[in-house]
Amino acid sequence: MKLHTPPRTERMAVDQDWSSVYPTAAAFKPASVPLPIRMGYPVKRGVPPPKEGNLELIKIPNFLHLTPPAIKKHCAALKDFCTEWPSALDSDEKCEQHFPIEIETVDYVSAGTSIRNPKARVVTLRVKLSHLNLDDHAKKKLIKLVGERYCKDTDMLTITTDRCPLRRQNYDYSIHLLTVLYHESWKTEMWESEKTEEDMEEYIWENSCSQKNALDTLLRIKASENVSNVTKEELLASEVVKNYRNSVIALKNEGETENNMSQYKESVKKLLNIQALP
Amino acid sequence: MGARLTGSHVDTQEPKTNPLVSISDEPETLYKRLSLLVKGHDKAVLDSYEYFAVLAAEELGISVEKVYKPPKTIERLTLLKSVHIYKKHRVQYEMRTHYVCLELKYLTSSTAAVYLEYVQRNLPEGVAMEVKKTKIEKIPEHIREPVWDTLPQVEETEVKS
Repeated sequence: MKLHTPPRTERMAVDQDWSSVYPTAAAFKPASVPLPIRMGYPVKRGVPPPKEGNLELIKIPNFLHLTPPAIKKHCAALKDFCTEWPSALDSDEKCEQHFPIEIETVDYVSAGTSIRNPKARVVTLRVKLSHLNLDDHAKKKLIKLVGERYCKDTDMLTITTDRCPLRRQNYDYSIHLLTVLYHESWKTEMWESEKTEEDMEEYIWENSCSQKNALDTLLRIKASENVSNVTKEELLASEVVKNYRNSVIALKNEGETENNMSQYKESVKKLLNIQALP
Repeated sequence: MGARLTGSHVDTQEPKTNPLVSISDEPETLYKRLSLLVKGHDKAVLDSYEYFAVLAAEELGISVEKVYKPPKTIERLTLLKSVHIYKKHRVQYEMRTHYVCLELKYLTSSTAAVYLEYVQRNLPEGVAMEVKKTKIEKIPEHIREPVWDTLPQVEETEVKS
């Protein structure tokens, strides 16, 4: 039969160094922890069971090895291995200005039979098109090539790759995709000249039916008033036609708002010289 | 863990050179944001872990953007109570997963490696899991100029990453 020695807690000073009692993660030892802890379901009209021989206290993970002084000691020792963040990049905008590309990768840590996780190979690349060296045609072509991966509100292109088995390969593939997209969008193929009005991203007034109709009407008005032959260029350069052009473009590109509709109304009134109607 | 570095007991007059620290020339990758999602079945354990992770980040000089707790998810199963027949008698189990999300800002790769190793080594057993999202920034290289200007009459694209 074992001699019953008093537990270590009775010989512990109040100001002892706790990190030497629990230097690493260890199970809960009731004889080494001088706290009167009770845990468990209480008996009827009683209190939770004490810490001696308490399985619940041993089962639950404890943080006795990570008290604040211990954490501070650990961090003081680890501080030498850390490096400073460059002080010039103290805001998100500056970071984006100097480093426009963002790569997102996820790591998974869990306990199980295997430490690998198949989701860890996904790589997402994000870049704003305004930081790339693209001209007008290249930008439109890139947006058409990329389709759904481009968000117009934030001007952000997002490429998610997971077709390769390793993360490094996926990262290389995403950079390759970006490079290919960039260079292909600068190329102009022969069949691109057959771009019709339906393919256009935004409304262009020159050579559209609106321009033809407007000029037609004006020419006929002038002909009926028997004014000397005014040329098309003069009509195009006149104030009223420019106003009309701007209001039509605003309507088509931005949609119908109060402002746009009233602007269109004014410009049509000026164009056809009908001031009488309200 | 503190006793390992025997070389750091130096006088205060001399600059401390930790013999375990090695400085390499390669440029550091920069992490704009590090997002740690810790999952567990026990809320008290996650709370303690969150306190530990936040304190560690502050001691190492990492700026903590925000710490928030996404709502818990409960997965419920309804199974037959008996091995054979008795369809009307079932038993229900549920698995509750609590989350704590830590967002850290502006880390260099060495700081991130140090912090993540420290924090992952002290992950409590089984109960909490970490899902880390790392956002890196980089400068594009061969995407500066379109390659068609420099290559005369070369048909294929020599695009390579």
